[in-house]
Amino acid sequence: MRVVWKKQGVREAIAGYSFMAPTIIVMGTFVVLPITYALFLAFNKVRILGELSYRFIGFKNFIRMASDERVLIALKNTAEYVTIVVPIQTILALLLALILNSKIKGKNIFRIVFFLPTVTSSAVLTLIFMWIYNSNGLLNNFLAFLGLPTYNWLGDPAVALKSIMLMNIWSTAPFYMVIYLAALQDIPESLYEAATIDGANPFDQFVSITLPLLKPVTFFIVVMGIIGTFQLFDQSYIFSAGSGGPNNSTLTVVLLIYQYAFKSLDMGYAAALALMLAGVIMIVTLVQRYFFKEEN
Amino acid sequence: MKIEPLAKTLSLWGFLLLLVVTLTSCGFRNSPEGITITLSGWQSNPNEKQLLEQVLRQFEIQHPHIKVKHETINDQYMDVIKTRLIGDAAPDVFYLDAFEAPLLMKYGVLEPLNSYVNAQFDLADFEPTLLKAFQLEERTYGLPKDFSTLALFYNKKAFQEAGIEQAPQTWDELRDDSKKLTVDKNRDGRKEQYGFGLAPELSRQYFMMTAFGGRLIDRQENAAFFTSGSLKGLQLVIEQYRKDQSSAQPSDVGASTGSEMFGQGKAAMVLEGTWAIPYLQETFPKLEFATAEVPTVNGKKGTMAYTVAYVMNKKAKHKEAAWQLIAYWAKEGLALPTRKSVLAELGFVNNPLYAPFAKGADYATIWQSGETLPTILTHFNNQFISALIGEQSLRNALRKAQRSANEEIQSAR
Repeated sequence: MRVVWKKQGVREAIAGYSFMAPTIIVMGTFVVLPITYALFLAFNKVRILGELSYRFIGFKNFIRMASDERVLIALKNTAEYVTIVVPIQTILALLLALILNSKIKGKNIFRIVFFLPTVTSSAVLTLIFMWIYNSNGLLNNFLAFLGLPTYNWLGDPAVALKSIMLMNIWSTAPFYMVIYLAALQDIPESLYEAATIDGANPFDQFVSITLPLLKPVTFFIVVMGIIGTFQLFDQSYIFSAGSGGPNNSTLTVVLLIYQYAFKSLDMGYAAALALMLAGVIMIVTLVQRYFFKEEN
Repeated sequence: MKIEPLAKTLSLWGFLLLLVVTLTSCGFRNSPEGITITLSGWQSNPNEKQLLEQVLRQFEIQHPHIKVKHETINDQYMDVIKTRLIGDAAPDVFYLDAFEAPLLMKYGVLEPLNSYVNAQFDLADFEPTLLKAFQLEERTYGLPKDFSTLALFYNKKAFQEAGIEQAPQTWDELRDDSKKLTVDKNRDGRKEQYGFGLAPELSRQYFMMTAFGGRLIDRQENAAFFTSGSLKGLQLVIEQYRKDQSSAQPSDVGASTGSEMFGQGKAAMVLEGTWAIPYLQETFPKLEFATAEVPTVNGKKGTMAYTVAYVMNKKAKHKEAAWQLIAYWAKEGLALPTRKSVLAELGFVNNPLYAPFAKGADYATIWQSGETLPTILTHFNNQFISALIGEQSLRNALRKAQRSANEEIQSAR
């Protein structure tokens, strides 16, 4: 009896693994292997052009990070970006989802229009926005028409990062809106009916019923938002043509890693920076989890 | 019973896989009669591509057993080439700018050409400063195919309207002319035309520093541009932008390059290279412009020279064929030819548009300075722009730029 059970179990296991084999092989080669290699590279001084050579230097790359001014600037830029974009993005997503969930006319059209930015590639969006942000472009003409001050959205260091923020909020809020929409539709109508009978107005209902029930979804959106914004690269790359300027104002951590890895060909240091970024994101996520769990 | 269909499907997929692999590997083999070599470069304008194709076809006619596959890489050219060199997938022959040459030469990824140059090939015919840019420790790694210097482009109509008769000869004259040429016709606070279009990059401003005795690097190739000479030279640029307000960056007026700003009439004068001439003639045919030598700074003539060479990948499979292409190209050129004999022969010195560029070759500072220059460039540009828009003084900017450039150079060593 035992032998039969074992055989069938083993056969099922083999069948299961062979179905998973393509994914395991692909993920292993393209995800796990590079990560392990990057871990290895971070502790070496690597020369990659010409002859390939490694020199073990222990923690020197990480020590170098502490005194590198550009790392601090990149971290500061990224932190500023995260603290402004994530709350605005989340709130905007919630607002849009509430609009779509209510009983107004033209819901379907709104849904298409709201979701359009998400399905457009970020590179294309960046180029379109660069046209709009041009000193003689749409945005400045609009502001001048209203008598408001115009800015050099692309060339002024004080403003450049804000331009990217605006563009990013506009393009990622709809994606999170869809998640909120799904969660909103999950809330049973009976709760709202009971509240109305008890005499609660719409605002009270929102604060006491909707928000608490959306907490897990909010947690998810905030975490994903933070992970995503910490890794901002393509927009700041296109905006600054790879330089992170003007005056390091659009330099994000991933752009810095790109510059060290592919322009200076300093792979070891770039790998160390990547590890540092992963560490920072992990810490932030754990902190958030602690806060959300406590409130629960 | 269960196993039979499984074996069938497995063998079917295995057969299909084998078929696909064989077919794909059959496609791209070099036939014994023909060798294919790959050539890569960037493209300044579509005109250049057509001329290049013509020359390549002529080369193929002269060398019937060699075929040239040309690929244009336009975006982030050096990043792509470096990545391909690392991955052993680089083209056999490719363009290399003098600015980037020291790094590649040092890492030994280029094939030295000394053994291919025979008696019939006259190396001395090349302009010596341009050839030296591609030589390291007695070995020549590339033959410069053409070069360009900077010259002053000016808008003839704007000059007429402002009552200026001839192009400025000194930098002070240029500043005075700029003030006259900066106009705000409809008085809405936004100037339609600036006197001078500014490119706030080290690659364009270096000659301002050398005019006062400034330099870029010291013997150990550390950044050493924070000197009073450099300060004086660059201060002229900053003052024109901030005090006179008669110059503008391309991004200030919504253009992407100096040539575009000039073509659109937003700047009456710019310092650009020979690449601007076909661009302006094609894109802005109604613009009446002329060229002149760069005004003297501190009483000295100066300008920048940029040169590009064809180099051979050390891992190229058909080196002799690649050399044939490089040697053939050394005779042609799309900007200004680097061979003194050809330059004279083609009469560039007499062509009014090209003459200032050709004359500039004698006193130009070549844009190259060892393998640390790319790092220095990034730090300099970053801080210089911040000084330009008034965030900090030029002195602070240069000091910061030099310090951070040296920190990066030291830690990378």
